[in-house]
Amino acid sequence: MRAVGPVRRRERTLLRAAGRRLAGAAAVVLGAATLAFAALQLLPGDPVAVLLGPATSASPQVREQIRADFGFDEPLPVRYLHYLGQLVTGDLGRSYQRQQPVTTLIGEQLWPTVQLVAASVTLAVVVAVVSAVVTTGRRSALRTLVELVELVALSTPHFWLGIVLLTVFSFRLHVFPAAGAQDLAALVLPAVTLALPVAGVLAQVLREGIETALEQPFVVAARARGRSRLGVRLRHAVRHAAAPLLTLTGWATGSLLGGAVLVETVFGRPGLGSLTLQAVTSRDLPVVLGVVLLSATAVVVLFTLVDLAQLALDPRLRTAAAL
Amino acid sequence: MRFPGPGHPVARPLRLAVAATLTAGILLTACGSDDAPATGTAGTPVAGGSVTYAIDTEPTCFDIHVSPQDITAAIQRNVFDSLVAEDNSGTFHPWLASSWKIAPDLRSYTFTLRRDVTFTDGTRFDAAAVKANFDHIVAPTTKSRFAASLLGSYTGTDVVDEFTARVNFAQPFAPFLQAASTAYLGFYSPKTLTAHADDLCGGGPVAVGTGPFTFTSYTKGQSIVLTRNPAYKWAPATAKHTGAAYLDTLTIRILKENSTRIGSLTSGQIDVAGAVPPANVAAVEANGRLQLLRRDAAGSPYSLYLNTALEPFTDERVRQAFQRGLNIDQDVKTVYFGQYKRAWSPLTAVTPSYDPSLENSWPYDPDRANQLLDEAGWTGRDSAGYRTRDGRRLTAVWPIMPATVREQRDILGQAFQEDLKKIGIELTRPPLDPGTFLKQAYAGTFAVLDFSWARFEPDVLRLFFHSASTLAHGGQNASFLTDPEVDTWTSTGAGTLDKAVRDDVYARAQQRVVKTGAVVPVYTAATILAAEKYVHGIDFDTNSWPQFYDVWRDRK
Repeated sequence: MRAVGPVRRRERTLLRAAGRRLAGAAAVVLGAATLAFAALQLLPGDPVAVLLGPATSASPQVREQIRADFGFDEPLPVRYLHYLGQLVTGDLGRSYQRQQPVTTLIGEQLWPTVQLVAASVTLAVVVAVVSAVVTTGRRSALRTLVELVELVALSTPHFWLGIVLLTVFSFRLHVFPAAGAQDLAALVLPAVTLALPVAGVLAQVLREGIETALEQPFVVAARARGRSRLGVRLRHAVRHAAAPLLTLTGWATGSLLGGAVLVETVFGRPGLGSLTLQAVTSRDLPVVLGVVLLSATAVVVLFTLVDLAQLALDPRLRTAAAL
Repeated sequence: MRFPGPGHPVARPLRLAVAATLTAGILLTACGSDDAPATGTAGTPVAGGSVTYAIDTEPTCFDIHVSPQDITAAIQRNVFDSLVAEDNSGTFHPWLASSWKIAPDLRSYTFTLRRDVTFTDGTRFDAAAVKANFDHIVAPTTKSRFAASLLGSYTGTDVVDEFTARVNFAQPFAPFLQAASTAYLGFYSPKTLTAHADDLCGGGPVAVGTGPFTFTSYTKGQSIVLTRNPAYKWAPATAKHTGAAYLDTLTIRILKENSTRIGSLTSGQIDVAGAVPPANVAAVEANGRLQLLRRDAAGSPYSLYLNTALEPFTDERVRQAFQRGLNIDQDVKTVYFGQYKRAWSPLTAVTPSYDPSLENSWPYDPDRANQLLDEAGWTGRDSAGYRTRDGRRLTAVWPIMPATVREQRDILGQAFQEDLKKIGIELTRPPLDPGTFLKQAYAGTFAVLDFSWARFEPDVLRLFFHSASTLAHGGQNASFLTDPEVDTWTSTGAGTLDKAVRDDVYARAQQRVVKTGAVVPVYTAATILAAEKYVHGIDFDTNSWPQFYDVWRDRK
């Protein structure tokens, strides 16, 4: 009975915090949408010419048709309101180049990228936690070696790492297929490629966090209560060190979306990365806009979640100012 | 088709040199590590099996009536047939049309169609289908970026009877048979045109044609699957066999990264790799399991167009000095490992009406270039070593759009900058975004622009050099040339089917634009394919696209 009160209060404060953050997130997304729209308006040149490219045999009639279809001839405020209206109804317009709705295009390519990024983040966190917990506080050859590997991993470009992994595990050893997204085996190399550099960063941050935590008086207290060395690390120190890890994981997930562009190209995987690359090179502005909005939303949602997780994790943050 | 049109393979900035080195290593170590299977194309073709072919560019749009992309036409050629077929000598053969009559004024073409052709959805191919397709191409709502231009001054198609179609034009239109032979003027089932007009860009089963394969599926970013059309019995005379295609399935994989594509081939994960980079050719040739197939592109080679209406290129001597000051032979050989041929004419050597007399007629000659510049009054030198006249530096702007660079043309451009520096010309390459680039290109503020244009037809000369073919109106006259004689010659060529006349006027046009320095032809790109030796019968059509109808493979 006694526990109910505080728990309820805690739930309520967390909910209120969540609500406030969601409102903030919506504002950020609207801002991103407006900025993206404004940026596209500032692009120099005639949008129809840009879309057709320098070498085209499109007749003036075709140009006029395109102008009318995409509403380039309407005044700016009308286009902006139209655009916002579309966003609210979940319509991102039609691709110039592919002549399909942007939502369809993104929808089709979302899953392979989500799969890739989720697998990579999970792998990176697992590798980082294991590597940090095992090697903290030890001045051993193992630690030096692990730290060296981490340093190499975090400074390796995705592109190069991908090619090396392909060469060894696909072209030479024939363990994994070189390209595609047909099954889980095809996910392994791209996920490892994306995960390793991130794992390097996370492991270093986590190890430092654990070591700082281990110097705190509560560790001595816990040990005095009879906790084992590993038990203290897992139960207490990791929890303390997790705050920066969480924040970093949020950041890393965002950056992995960018890394996916390269990895998807190297491994011939479908996904948002290859869609974005193609949209940018073929000047397919509605698709670029759609991807920008999606990324903004994803990052905002991600950071909101990280924020809330921090609150749940660390009671010290649940002050009036933070909520 | 041309540089830097939409959807071309683009150079990825992060394609590091290390990757190339690495791949070369893999290829080399793969040599001789496997037993070479029995090979030779002398065997009797067998039906069955499948082939996986990796390409480097994903089509942005699969609609042959809309897209200007080479890769779209190259893939869809397997799914869509044309009225006529053109062989490598430029002769036309019956295909879906069993015969045709051309009006003496070249303003109407009457096709007698085969009576036994059906689309893969069961619809019969007839004159109404021809009309429905051509009308669809020119409709403004189709927003055709290329096919419509192949129909020229099309005014309509008359359905004379069930199997006779007359295609009409406002102007005499000699290039029509060539246009009609391309996949861009292939035929959709009229049913699909009515029901799925908006979905054709997306490819897949809605792309219903009469071709030897059906478009089974498309997984974006990954693969395209084509399946044999068992009912196919209307192959053109240009093919090596009749009846259905040999392969059950043709899977086209999209592997944009060169190292991945070539590595997948050498490790046996795919059967054929397209777009083999010149740097990898030697290693493929040394691999006993693989064969190398190549064909030079038809049309306009990669060329620099000098703006004849802008200082300093208003002076013919400066343009000629520019031509003579470029060490094209050596630069092209170095950048492309000897795989691409140096070009001499604004038509490539495999294009009809090519004028071979231009070969070696304007070799690298820095002395001559210096002399021409002296004569033109650019005799001063500034502190950087560039020539000056009346205190102004001899400089030319050649913009670059980084996102569209392919075939290492940026590297080639650097070599050219070095060459020209030696004769005192400054060539600057400001990087521009597409919007600024196009606006200024249309306005004629650039001294140099570069393009290539693949088409098996000398009429490309009209596209590039006729005074009416301005950049702003769908033409490619990047030299801003206004030469009444060139206009007459290229119009005459477009208005006659007389080969002797065409050869004559096109030779004159080629010589004029080269000798007056309006254009600097640079190199002819080649389609280079690498394939396992158990794959037989790969050949190229006039557009140098690989054809899969005749392809077969040894049984495993």
